[in-house]
Amino acid sequence: MSNEVKPTYTLDERGEVCPVPDVDTRRKLKEMKSGEVLEVLIDYALSKERIPAGVKDVGGEVISIEEIGPSEWRLLIKKL
Amino acid sequence: MDPRWQGLLVGILFGIVLQRGRICFNSAIRDVKMTKDNYLMKMALVAILVETIGFQLAAQLGWIKLNPLPLIPLAQIIGGFLFGMGMVLAGGCASGITYRIGEGYVTAFVAAVFFGVTASAVRGGPLSFINNWLGKPITTTNNPNGFYAAKDGAVNLTIANLLNINPWIIAIIFAILLLIIVIYWKTTERKVSGLNWITGGISLGIVGIIAYLSQKTYPLGITGGWVNLFRTTTANLDLTQPIPYNWMGMEIVGVIIGAFVAALIAKEFRFRAPKDPKTFAQVALGGILMGIGAGSAGGCNIGHILSGLPHLAISSIIFTIFAVLGNWLMVWYLFERR
Repeated sequence: MSNEVKPTYTLDERGEVCPVPDVDTRRKLKEMKSGEVLEVLIDYALSKERIPAGVKDVGGEVISIEEIGPSEWRLLIKKL
Repeated sequence: MDPRWQGLLVGILFGIVLQRGRICFNSAIRDVKMTKDNYLMKMALVAILVETIGFQLAAQLGWIKLNPLPLIPLAQIIGGFLFGMGMVLAGGCASGITYRIGEGYVTAFVAAVFFGVTASAVRGGPLSFINNWLGKPITTTNNPNGFYAAKDGAVNLTIANLLNINPWIIAIIFAILLLIIVIYWKTTERKVSGLNWITGGISLGIVGIIAYLSQKTYPLGITGGWVNLFRTTTANLDLTQPIPYNWMGMEIVGVIIGAFVAALIAKEFRFRAPKDPKTFAQVALGGILMGIGAGSAGGCNIGHILSGLPHLAISSIIFTIFAVLGNWLMVWYLFERR
């Protein structure tokens, strides 16, 4: 897609145990500057549901959740 | 029907509800502290609420005798604390790692094997000396309304028989308290693709009641099931002999099958393994701590928290408090220190 947002950083959290994907995402977001975009790759549905609820209080906003394979998702999160 | 078939069927139901509700007591306890997320905690509270009334009603109707777990204070204090720390390292509670095997989590399988073997070793194996250190159960002869299962007149302690008052009074006060928390504690917003906190909690509570009616001696459990599977499998390799797998052992098999089928249908099954081999050592250590904890304390998050709290058993109340403290300490150590 031409209007696709380019991520500043990428975290590949596939295969990690609970709650490492959530914790790593929050940590990375805390370090990031306003306007930067984080790409997170996950393969667990619970994280897909919990990360969007949890990033708000570290100043993040989920801009898209895309299914990239069976039980695999790509989240784009923007630091506000 | 053979109790083993009943165990298998209840287990399948349990596995489906765990998978669709993404129910994990490790997450439920941890998220409240770490991310101020109460979604899974509220689901657990609803399940405990449903069971509190359901167990009491079943006992009133004479379908079961309430059978709280034995109180051995040191066992529940130390066991609960170790279990609480272990489930953070293992990335899931006893039921969490069991159903995640069905979702294809390789680390859950590793944690469950170490959990089951260690719990077996503590309960009548080479580590059984731990139980000798921890002491003997404290019981009472009070049995208000004859609701409780008695052994030679001795009954395990609950709030009701400690005070020797009608268990309905305690059950109703507890249920009202839970209801107030459930209603007034603002739920964390979450878009769910499975069961939400209300339907998941009610379903889990109903499965617990069905389990009690089926097994008669106790509702759902995980530790006893893994112990049965490991001990029976290793002690009785003569396959010409009838195999003494029991209700609980078959319940574990059912949980894995139920979660597998539910995950498959929801397109959430996938073999998953972490890239860093250190993670395997971490989950193995978590499984060992959980095995020592649940093996000595008389139950895990399911035996004590989900099934034990609705009895208002003193043992389960102590276990729950120390499991929460152990969980929070390890969460701080692993994720919050810096």
